[in-house]
Amino acid sequence: MKDGPMKKQSWPKKNVDVCIRCATCMAVCPVSRVTSKFPGPKQAGPGAERFRRMGEPSVDDWIDLCIGCHLCDMVCSSGVNISELNLLAKAKYLDEKGRPFRDWLLTHSYLYGWVGSFLSPFVNFLFRNSMIRWVGEAILKIDRRRKLPDYEPSTFRQWFKKHRSQVHQIKEGDHPPFKKKGKEGFEHHFMERKKVGYFYGCYMNTNEVDVGRATVQVLEVNGFEVILPLQKCCGIPMLGNGNFKGARKMACYNVPSLLKTIVSGSDIIFSSTSCGHMIKHEYSHLLSIPRADEVALHLFDIFEFLRNLKELNGLDTHFKELPLKAAYFAPCHLRALGIGLPALEILRLIPGLTLDNIEADCCGMGGTFGFKKEKYEISEEIGRDLAEVIDRLKPEIILSDCEGCRMQIRHLTGLKVSHPIQILRDALLPETKFTL
Amino acid sequence: MKMITEVLIIGGGATGVGIARDLSWRGIPSILIEKGDFASGASGRNHGLLHSGGRYAVTDPGAARECMAENRILRKIAPHCIEETDGLFVSLPEDGFDYRERFLRACDEVGIQTALLSRDETLELEPELDPNLLSAVKVPDGSIDPFVLILENARDAEEHGAKILLHTEMTSLILDGDKIKEVGAKDLGGGEEYTIKASYIVNATGAWANQFLKLAGLQIGMALSKGSMLITNQRLTHHVINRCRPPSDGDIVVPNHTVSILGTTSVRLEEVENFEVTPHEVSLLIQETSKLVPAIQEARLIRAYAGIRPLFQSETKEDDRAISRGFVLIDHGERDGIKNLITITGGKLVTYRLMAEKTSDLLCKKMGMHTPCSTHLKALPKANRPTGLTEKLKQFSFERVETLCDCELTSRKEVEEFLKTDKLKDLQDILHRTRLAKGSCQGGFCVYRLLGVLHDLRRINGNSNEFLKKFLEERWKGIRPILWGPAVKEEELMEGIYKGIFNL
Repeated sequence: MKDGPMKKQSWPKKNVDVCIRCATCMAVCPVSRVTSKFPGPKQAGPGAERFRRMGEPSVDDWIDLCIGCHLCDMVCSSGVNISELNLLAKAKYLDEKGRPFRDWLLTHSYLYGWVGSFLSPFVNFLFRNSMIRWVGEAILKIDRRRKLPDYEPSTFRQWFKKHRSQVHQIKEGDHPPFKKKGKEGFEHHFMERKKVGYFYGCYMNTNEVDVGRATVQVLEVNGFEVILPLQKCCGIPMLGNGNFKGARKMACYNVPSLLKTIVSGSDIIFSSTSCGHMIKHEYSHLLSIPRADEVALHLFDIFEFLRNLKELNGLDTHFKELPLKAAYFAPCHLRALGIGLPALEILRLIPGLTLDNIEADCCGMGGTFGFKKEKYEISEEIGRDLAEVIDRLKPEIILSDCEGCRMQIRHLTGLKVSHPIQILRDALLPETKFTL
Repeated sequence: MKMITEVLIIGGGATGVGIARDLSWRGIPSILIEKGDFASGASGRNHGLLHSGGRYAVTDPGAARECMAENRILRKIAPHCIEETDGLFVSLPEDGFDYRERFLRACDEVGIQTALLSRDETLELEPELDPNLLSAVKVPDGSIDPFVLILENARDAEEHGAKILLHTEMTSLILDGDKIKEVGAKDLGGGEEYTIKASYIVNATGAWANQFLKLAGLQIGMALSKGSMLITNQRLTHHVINRCRPPSDGDIVVPNHTVSILGTTSVRLEEVENFEVTPHEVSLLIQETSKLVPAIQEARLIRAYAGIRPLFQSETKEDDRAISRGFVLIDHGERDGIKNLITITGGKLVTYRLMAEKTSDLLCKKMGMHTPCSTHLKALPKANRPTGLTEKLKQFSFERVETLCDCELTSRKEVEEFLKTDKLKDLQDILHRTRLAKGSCQGGFCVYRLLGVLHDLRRINGNSNEFLKKFLEERWKGIRPILWGPAVKEEELMEGIYKGIFNL
């Protein structure tokens, strides 16, 4: 696949014409709700599009404030791809204006993440140091009020390698790698183990390894063997920063690799809804990556996958009692996938678990958006609604499928925030004891 | 009220205000009366094309020459009304090269600068054009905002002493031997009646010329030709696109602000009022213009409208396009023995200034004066509003002013300026002076916001529902011919708003 400049033919079709100006999108936009600097989706998208001229420099500097939540796309009664229009305009604007080094840093963590992980005690110390954060704000314009995520001492990949060799040892020794509680014998089940690919995402790999651990464990309990197709960053941080070229590069690496797994007969699951949305929707629609639509057909959110399993009566539902008051927040990119709230459906099967759904629009993190100095306050203000709901519900733990949302909720509430798969694992595996 | 002036001009189109301006610079007092608002006739109902003359080079070299000369002058005196887009005369495979060769020769003869572009060069400039095109000829066409042009002319004329009475209809004409003694007029808003005594009377009523002359018992040979146009929701090309073939239906696409205007048709009419765009015209225009720009097939239309070309004719001809688009200046003293009456009609928007110049020259001759014309040298007072799309978006971005019209980014400030200074009688008057309500929703959202502004400024007298109704009826007239696809959905929403919320 060639990665050249984008040709006119490969641009997504702009359907500005079907906008009937109804302004429903204005009612859901989290950014225009908190700042008058952003004119809202109707104006920034189909409205401004009528004024933009190819070949002339961009003048709409507020386009950079679109957080990319897709909420406007979802409510549009006419199917205008508003956030895509914004993204294209943003890309043009930033191509002309130039991107600060900060943006490169925020969007290329896949390159240096392993270093962070290798030197985690040192890096984490630096990240917490207020002096360093002050310098980071002054030089890089990364807001010092935003806590940078800790790196884990070993990556998910490292854990997985070790884990797999353990599993294989057990297999050779003819011992079950985990206890199966079903009526059928373990041996029989073991023989039929189906493989499933896992797109784990770079953030989880270096910063929240337990999410990956839990995903693998839950799938294994349900009789799957997890494999890791070769993969790079999905490219969403770059795309969100208007870097189509960088995002295409990532996509052009990932698509053939994921296809290889799919062709060999395995579906692929993801635990980060942002990575998932990127691969499932933006690869084919916005980036016109060949055969990305085939990947999309076989790519599932982990809970969507488990829900499908449940419908086929294949889901292990022997949960232990989990007396816990939790609240669930559905990330925007999950909502944009249009698959409902599968995590909520599955987790509600756990006895003892009280699970509230948090009704709020967007957490305000927007991936790299919330780190930026000039956008930090907007980001925090957007999240205020969410924080208020949480305050009212008073949960012991908050669950969300997106690392950005988890970061923001931790930042705003100081409460424990997990991926729902971690709770499911805790309820499923006898040896793990849930501790707050 | 009695008024006495030197010249009474009837008609507030481009020609009428052009004459008022020309006379005012020569120091000759004048009064202009117009029964509606400025640009209510053909001056405001055309495709806003700044002709290079290319369209007439082959068929009417005289008119082409006039267009080219005026084109150059207007670029100098009214740069803020003009977008220098240039025009392309595109040859499609079915057109062949015959006409193109004649066209190039004719342009050369009348002095229109041309450049022949290859297929690839053309597509580079305008990627939306049909990729099968053969070639294109570039000419100095442009797009012009007739409303701004006319308002600026009027403002300049008033500043130099002319008096302009809008919404004032002529009611009577009293002849005294070989002269028109006085003219009776009535203010349609306030109801005031005027008696105007003038040494000379200029009939600049365009398509209404014969209606006026009838009062004096006169008539001239004139054909009324309806030209219909469609407006797309987005600007499809950035050059004026002409078809390089003999003038015909649907052979032009003009970029104008945020939209493109597809034109035109030519249908003979018998009367000046009550005409509409027919479904046949709509499909014809789409069918023909989409041969040039295929995207038109799927493009959303937001409005259809028609104007009447007043074409002067000495004898009846079959095709109106064969009648000269040049103008005629009739001295009724010589023709009919009414010494102080002049009729000026025909012509193009682009030649309005020349028409005004010739009319004023004739008036001067009759008065025995020798003051020369200066309108080709004096630039119009510059409007301070941004003209280009990018400038407009930029202003919106930086100032974040309160906008009334989201589609066209018309600010409240801009509208209020007109409301405070001008005597406006009608909602349509505001629409003539700003881009308000000219976008995707055609005023669906901004007009009720405007009502609030009018209320704040105490500018609504009487029933505001009537005000709205009148506007909606006018809006509906333009939308009905193009009512399919997104337009239907838009209308459902508007019906919900105006019937549901405003209880109309």
